[in-house]
Amino acid sequence: MSLPDRIDPRPPRRIYRWDLDKTYLQTEFDSIRDILRTAFQKAHEKQAVPGASALIRELAANGDSRLCIVSGSPRQMRSVLEEKLKLDGVVWDEFVLKDNVGNLMRGRFRALRGQVGYKLPAILESRALAPLEAEEVLFGDDAEADAFIYSLYADMVAGRVDERVLTQILNQAAVYPDEVERVHAAWKKIPVSDPVRRIFIHLDRLTPPAHFADYGPRVVPIFNYFQAALVLLADGHLTAPQVIKVAVEMVQTAGHNIITLSNSFQDLLRRGLPLQQAAAALVQALEGPNALLQALRPMPDIISAFTKRLAALGTEPAPPPARAVDYLAMLHHALPRTHKTRKPPAKPPAT
Amino acid sequence: MAIKPVTIAFDVMGSDHGPAEVIRGAAQLSLESPHIHALLVGDRAVIDDVLAATRHSGERISVQHASGFIAMDEKPGEALARKPDASVSVAARLVAEGEADALVSAGNTGACVLACARHFQLLPGVRRAALAAVYPTRMRHGGKEDPFSLILDVGATVEATADDLVTFAVMGAAYARIISRNEQPKVALLSNGTESTKGPRHVVEAHARIAGLPGMKFLGNVEGVDIPKGTADVVVTDGFVGNVCLKMLEGVHETVFELAQYAHKESLRWRAGLAMLAGGIQRIKDITDWEQYGGAPVLGFDRIFIKAHGRSHARAIANAGKIAAKAAANELGKSIQQGLAR
Repeated sequence: MSLPDRIDPRPPRRIYRWDLDKTYLQTEFDSIRDILRTAFQKAHEKQAVPGASALIRELAANGDSRLCIVSGSPRQMRSVLEEKLKLDGVVWDEFVLKDNVGNLMRGRFRALRGQVGYKLPAILESRALAPLEAEEVLFGDDAEADAFIYSLYADMVAGRVDERVLTQILNQAAVYPDEVERVHAAWKKIPVSDPVRRIFIHLDRLTPPAHFADYGPRVVPIFNYFQAALVLLADGHLTAPQVIKVAVEMVQTAGHNIITLSNSFQDLLRRGLPLQQAAAALVQALEGPNALLQALRPMPDIISAFTKRLAALGTEPAPPPARAVDYLAMLHHALPRTHKTRKPPAKPPAT
Repeated sequence: MAIKPVTIAFDVMGSDHGPAEVIRGAAQLSLESPHIHALLVGDRAVIDDVLAATRHSGERISVQHASGFIAMDEKPGEALARKPDASVSVAARLVAEGEADALVSAGNTGACVLACARHFQLLPGVRRAALAAVYPTRMRHGGKEDPFSLILDVGATVEATADDLVTFAVMGAAYARIISRNEQPKVALLSNGTESTKGPRHVVEAHARIAGLPGMKFLGNVEGVDIPKGTADVVVTDGFVGNVCLKMLEGVHETVFELAQYAHKESLRWRAGLAMLAGGIQRIKDITDWEQYGGAPVLGFDRIFIKAHGRSHARAIANAGKIAAKAAANELGKSIQQGLAR
């Protein structure tokens, strides 16, 4: 045994928590037919969301992070999902799947669709084992209640959620008593800190971004993972060449091009995300000698497209205001999407 | 084979319903047509507010801020001179510079045409641009069985010469070939009789010259009665007559529906009769629903401009964007140039 093998691994400085369906995998489960097709798909037939695997690999390449996956897929799919992740070169540290068969056998039908009672205790229990100083970035989608659960989790860990509010939320979300107990037990074990830096919501259903405005600037709705990579560049989690690798994967596997990438960049700028420095770093990286970048398009075109999208805005848009999340006002977000009392996404303002 | 991406510049300001309908139309387009990218030109803050609350694809929309706009009641020449940063001017400039492949606007028609004239070039052989309009007809046209024909000019060139009418015939035929997938569009001249000698001198002269154009399926002269029948796929006339015809057709359409409403209120018997005709009335409404046609092209420039109706809602704007994209992807300008060279 060599010396390094005997030394305990360094504690993770960063934890990346991912949902799987519609966040990492392009999964359809809107109809019985979709569910059946998904259940019988082989690993190589499953499609990752463009750029997701490249982003995970680049985040892992920094060497001081953990990847924790909490998915609503049934445990019976573990082997095929693990095979898919391996095919994509994704290495994980924690992989939690839902015990749907167990829930069915015990007649816990609410738990089949409910997300709060499943995800919240799972990520709290994971946090209870993490080092106090480890920061977190969370990835979810707009299909279920990810923005709500992740924000609630972040504010619970930071001590910004009242026990009374939590009780009301768990009641409203029809969480089973044993799950409530797990939430409280795990929460008690976690020392108060403020580790969650960003919550990315992949807009699989193209929900209007304003739907997430009440969660404040910590929640960033994204149309694709190039956008997540740009924000992570600005936040210091990635370097500019790493962001370009994410973009290259999207170009090579999903037909993205200079227009979609530069539009995605401008979309974030218009929402007030402070990306000016990140853009400068990106332009600098694009100007360097890197054969990989030729996969995008000739350098002057890329630089010019980004510069033009930046200049097109005139004055710099104001950043979104920080705000405390009013979970009680948004209780309907905690419910499954198909629940009869869940309100639809924001409608356009009347003219 | 992947479809080539096309970028359409939308002049967001200046329509009758304000910017929101144009933005929503572009947002709808971003969801329906993956190869079309929308470049929204107008007040960035307004655009962002509406977009944030509208389902759209952020990958297919970008924004160019323009601080000014030209209202419907402003005099085009004066307004364009006074407002160099008007959205229609900025959008036309972006198209001229190659940032977008076509322009769509629901704003002040005069200002739009003038902005295009200032930034675009007329095609070789074209003396004046023509504003074309689609109008509903009884007969179906082209491979897509479109329930409408094209009439041009409807207002850009008030007094057209014989040369202009010949050019309009070539441009209209090229447009019908591309947009309606009509390989051999039937072209006709509007006159006061079907005989070749009928009409003013420039119409008679144009008749002789269009008849001699190779590859042109020329029907000869048609009368006003043939317009709603759809005898021709493309009807050629000057801007003064075309505008009068178009407005009259719109007036007849509105009057028919007003009369139906009057009848509906007047007596129970008439109401019952109308109820029995409801299916047919709905069909007429569907066919004459101008929102499905999107917009009308201004032909003759080296760049594509689709003029959407000032009262356009989101659906009409999205359809105008699709027409603009189709014209751009099929290189309408080149097709017209080839027709003129014959």
